[in-house]
Amino acid sequence: FGLLQAGAVPVFKPRAEEKITPEPKIKKLEPVLLPGEIVVNEVNFVRKCIATDTSQYDLWGKLVCTNFKTSFITDDPMPLQKFHYKNLLLGEHDVPLTCIEQIVTVNDTKRKQKVLGPNQKLKFNPTELIIYCKDFRIVRFRFDEAGPESAKKVCLAIAHYSQPTDLQLLFAFEYVGKMYHNPAKKVNGIDPGGGGGSSGSGQQTPLFEAYSDWDREIKRTGASEWRVCSVNEGYMISTCLPEYFVVPSSLADQDLKLYSYSFIGRRMPVWCWNHPNGSALVRMANIKDVLQQRKIDQRICNAITRSHPQRSDVYKSDLDKCLPNIQEIQAAFIKLKQLCVNEPFEETEEKWLSSLENTHWLEYIRSFLKHSVEVVYMLECKRVSVVLQEEEGRDLSCLVASLVQVMLDPYFRTIVGFQSLLQKEWVMAGYQFLDRCNHLKRSDKESPLFLMFLDSVWQLLEQYPAAFEFSETYLTLLYDSTRISLFGTFLFNSPHQRVKESTEFAISKNIQLGDEKGLKFPSVWDWSLQFTTRDRMLFHNPLYIGKSAPCVQNGAVKSFKRSKKNYSSTLRGIPPALKNGIISEQEFLPRRNSLILKLKPDSLQQAASHNNSLEQYFRAWFSKPVDLHGVILPQFSGTHVKLWKLCYFRWVPEAQINNGGFITAFHKISLLVDEVDMLNRSLRQCKSNLSLQANCSDLDQSRMYFRASGLNDISGTSDFLSSSFPFSPIGNLCRRSILGTPLSKFLSGAKIWLSTETLANED
Amino acid sequence: MEEAPLFPGESIKVIAKDVMYICPFMGAVSGTLTVTDYRLYIKSIERDPPFVLDVPLGVISRVEKIGAQSHGDNSFGIEIVCKDMRNLRLAYKQEEQSRLEIFENLVTRAFPVSKGLGLPNESWKISRINSTFELCDTYPAILVVPTSVKDDDLSKVAAFRTKGRVPVLSWIHPESQATITRCSQPLIGPNDKHCKEDEKYLQTIMDANAQSHKLIIFDARQNSVADANKVKGGGYENESSYPNVELFFLEIHNIHVMRESLRKLKEIVYPTIDEARWLSNIDSTHWLDYIRMLLAGAVRIADKIESGKTSVVVHCSDGWDRTAQLTSLAMLMLDSYYRTIKGFETLIEKEWISFGHRFAMRVGHGDDDHAGADRSPIFLQFIDCVWQMTRQFPAAFEFNELFLVTILDHLYSCLFGTFLFNCEQERVKEEISTKTVSLWSYVNSQLDEFTNPFYVNYEHHVLYPVASLNHLELWVNYYVRWNPRMRPQMPIHQNLKELLAIRAELQKKLEELQREAATRSISSSSDRGSSPSHSATPVHTSV
Repeated sequence: FGLLQAGAVPVFKPRAEEKITPEPKIKKLEPVLLPGEIVVNEVNFVRKCIATDTSQYDLWGKLVCTNFKTSFITDDPMPLQKFHYKNLLLGEHDVPLTCIEQIVTVNDTKRKQKVLGPNQKLKFNPTELIIYCKDFRIVRFRFDEAGPESAKKVCLAIAHYSQPTDLQLLFAFEYVGKMYHNPAKKVNGIDPGGGGGSSGSGQQTPLFEAYSDWDREIKRTGASEWRVCSVNEGYMISTCLPEYFVVPSSLADQDLKLYSYSFIGRRMPVWCWNHPNGSALVRMANIKDVLQQRKIDQRICNAITRSHPQRSDVYKSDLDKCLPNIQEIQAAFIKLKQLCVNEPFEETEEKWLSSLENTHWLEYIRSFLKHSVEVVYMLECKRVSVVLQEEEGRDLSCLVASLVQVMLDPYFRTIVGFQSLLQKEWVMAGYQFLDRCNHLKRSDKESPLFLMFLDSVWQLLEQYPAAFEFSETYLTLLYDSTRISLFGTFLFNSPHQRVKESTEFAISKNIQLGDEKGLKFPSVWDWSLQFTTRDRMLFHNPLYIGKSAPCVQNGAVKSFKRSKKNYSSTLRGIPPALKNGIISEQEFLPRRNSLILKLKPDSLQQAASHNNSLEQYFRAWFSKPVDLHGVILPQFSGTHVKLWKLCYFRWVPEAQINNGGFITAFHKISLLVDEVDMLNRSLRQCKSNLSLQANCSDLDQSRMYFRASGLNDISGTSDFLSSSFPFSPIGNLCRRSILGTPLSKFLSGAKIWLSTETLANED
Repeated sequence: MEEAPLFPGESIKVIAKDVMYICPFMGAVSGTLTVTDYRLYIKSIERDPPFVLDVPLGVISRVEKIGAQSHGDNSFGIEIVCKDMRNLRLAYKQEEQSRLEIFENLVTRAFPVSKGLGLPNESWKISRINSTFELCDTYPAILVVPTSVKDDDLSKVAAFRTKGRVPVLSWIHPESQATITRCSQPLIGPNDKHCKEDEKYLQTIMDANAQSHKLIIFDARQNSVADANKVKGGGYENESSYPNVELFFLEIHNIHVMRESLRKLKEIVYPTIDEARWLSNIDSTHWLDYIRMLLAGAVRIADKIESGKTSVVVHCSDGWDRTAQLTSLAMLMLDSYYRTIKGFETLIEKEWISFGHRFAMRVGHGDDDHAGADRSPIFLQFIDCVWQMTRQFPAAFEFNELFLVTILDHLYSCLFGTFLFNCEQERVKEEISTKTVSLWSYVNSQLDEFTNPFYVNYEHHVLYPVASLNHLELWVNYYVRWNPRMRPQMPIHQNLKELLAIRAELQKKLEELQREAATRSISSSSDRGSSPSHSATPVHTSV
């Protein structure tokens, strides 16, 4: 499974996932509803457009608007589609309401179009509905044969429900309310506690809601001079900090309370992470009290110094001064989206690279990577504690703090570790998901900082493909999960907001909360809500050689650590016969007094003169073989930072490489890893047989999505692979032909993209 | 200590001590300079490990004296401009005499004055009409032409095509029999000349493919340029005199435009890169634009053959630059054989070397006219297109990036005879096959180095690359390889090789254990613990 079967209506079956039985063909087209989900409006005889140049492939069905999603229900199979992953919460044609960016209605005959806001009137009967999604999809429906009034009602309903004005109107509240009302709380297998089962490993993701999670993190990193403090219990001090956080041991609760008044949002310095050498990473908001500024600053710094084993100084990094701000990042994102998705594909061809450069997206990624490397250098090489300072301390700090930790601590490059990092530095640290993701009616606070973080991590993954337990599919699906308003993880501006809003909601709905602080929402980390065990294997990176990898456990097998010899042998570009001294390995420490005839100063030398020792650290690091279980530093030059094509191009049919893409190499490695796993299991089994201990317990599931054995019906052929895998652009974006024939790319002539551009705007 | 290693037959021409090489990345190094009849070699033991610069003389495009610079003693110098995207600066503190010697040696050594498919079938025959290169002196001795065409008619067709390059077979679809044929432009001229034999010839090519009643001609040139050629006696097939023929222009620019584009590219990558404007600078060279045009053209050809089952004729003016690029790329898309190492060697031998791509002229082998109007990076562009395809289909090619880089390095090095001279006739005359070694013998002797571990034989797959700038990349590992900052990213093929080694080791161990278990179970006459059934399933290697 994983391949969508013709005519099968996706069914919500979280725990029953393992034994999917063929669904009897339903004559009546009925939407599949979640607990608490209700149908608001529906219209029959709707055509979903698949291609723009022909209606041959269009699907007929019913369009339904619920309080959670728009759902298109059809008996027709998707044409030409080879593969599409399946989300258990959503049908193939469904769009969660929180994923909708813009709704455009069109009337062909009256030549009118209108962008629908909430509570608006529509003076014409729409013949066409186009939904622009936040995840870059564009879906188009036609109502030629549908009842005009019902069509209109559905459009208005979608516009209304996708742009709620109040947080409590988001579906997650309805859903969780239903859960609490049901005495057997685990109906449908969802534990509202949402501890966050990880993908297969059985480990739980620490949520950092409790004292103990922080305490464990202190111990894990060996931060002996730091303590968990509970002054913010009940959010008595700050409503944008978590209830528990970590502070220097030398600061008493009384001092903290006093100092907190001077910080914006009362966000006093909180600890993020400790380097094994004792240096700490700390983040805080600006001090607003100008008179007290110096004094408080001094005291805070002294306390941080006292928590350092060498009593080193504190290095302060003012993020507002050296990084793009959230408005600039949002502007870059809009341009990027325009370029990658909204513009007709052929028209972006000319000057593509210049246009990409003009979005500034990659430039900003580079500046975040560069800045994070500088922080790594201070912690690792200068052995000083670093304080990340930012106006409110809850935007850029989230990105930089977590990027630094991904580079420094291999734990955060595992799936559970990465999720705990997101909990620690984003969810609990009060990153304003509600505003930044713009879950409610259009706000000017929208900014894709979280995406920019995922993109930065992708750059690291691209440069060190074997250093991460997860795949780029995992990162992409994680991004998509921010658009599903069912999970509490990415729904709120702060943990306090969850407690406050959900308590209000509980009271209004007569839900007994007991000892609980607010309602517990399902967690994104409970991936079984969205994907089958099998599909979750897509998260696993076959190149990752974790400590748990059986092949390393086996004592006799050589460790994967990259030897120096290995590395030099991978220096490609120069055939052995012509090996040329220019790139021999270790002689790159720059000689300051070098003779450069008439050359413009190299940008790297310029940088070196500014920050000589940072540059040296950087170069020295790159001259050594990489330890994938140690620090990894990204290259952040313009030639190294790339566009994350899977994320941005996956819905563009024209950009899909059939039978190609990195996935084809990934596929081959997966098969090999699966084989190695199998051999290891056989070996263990063989050994235990020899010692007459029948121990078959470790005949566990394969870690790989693609299997070498015959268990998997599709592993033998890679026909279904494409650069968009596991996504399929077919049917998601109806701009032009989706026909495989490349000829369609060269059909010159009229813009086939919707004629709406020439239509008059209503109102 | 600082001497150059020599190939058999290589001899040292001059040695100079204390020559300073001024590297743009790491500053100056002093060492011993050796010039042999094959290479320029500098070794410096003042660094640890010793610094070595080893450049085949064939790579040198131009040598210039540089006037006095004020860098201490090193007041004289030369600058060596290379064909492979770098310049080398050398400085001396020695007297004029020695410098002159080096210079003269470099100049004379680098630029010596002179040097040395299921066929036939019922529709296509192997013809020896060109065995003495009389029909066409830039074609190979053996040609494949339609069976029914008489030699007399072929001569008349030759007279109607530039340089006698008649339409000949490049590739035939094993099922549909749709073909790719290549030729030069017809000599239509300003007065719209006709040639009955040429018209009939194309009709015969169309008839050889029963699946289609059309023949498509792709003229690689820009329409306007083709029109201009008409005035000069050339031109393109008039659809009215060639019934059932459709002609499309692929609008690809000429060799001069490509040369200029590469020159601009070198400017932006060597020696320094403007980080802030990196992408728009690449745009401004149009290099990737031209790569895209070529790939898009080849996709159209392949699509006509595969989906349209229609035969295709490809030409430009002479039919040895753009035509070779397009036919060989289309063949690479259509036929998985050409995606193997052997197949790719065959492809180059056939479409490029034997059909007379002017390697000597385009590369400027041994020619000191660095600004020559005949030079153009046509073959480099082709290899770049191939690289782009390997990026889009990482598992579809048997060879790796090093293979492509090696081909390009030896395009300039002149170490092998493969890319010397302009056509088969010259090579026969110079006895190239007996006097030189082929690059392919070198490659084939160490296939491991050049093999892509991800290779899966997509035997029946036609691969259409996405010919869009969204997917094209600048080949940084080639064009920017001299910059030490451009260290290649951690290649994953290394991981794969490690995994393969582990698998082999595990398999061995498992077999040993199983053998041990077998002996035990025999000795204890117990039949429990039957051997695990899943041992060593091979990774699927064909589709």
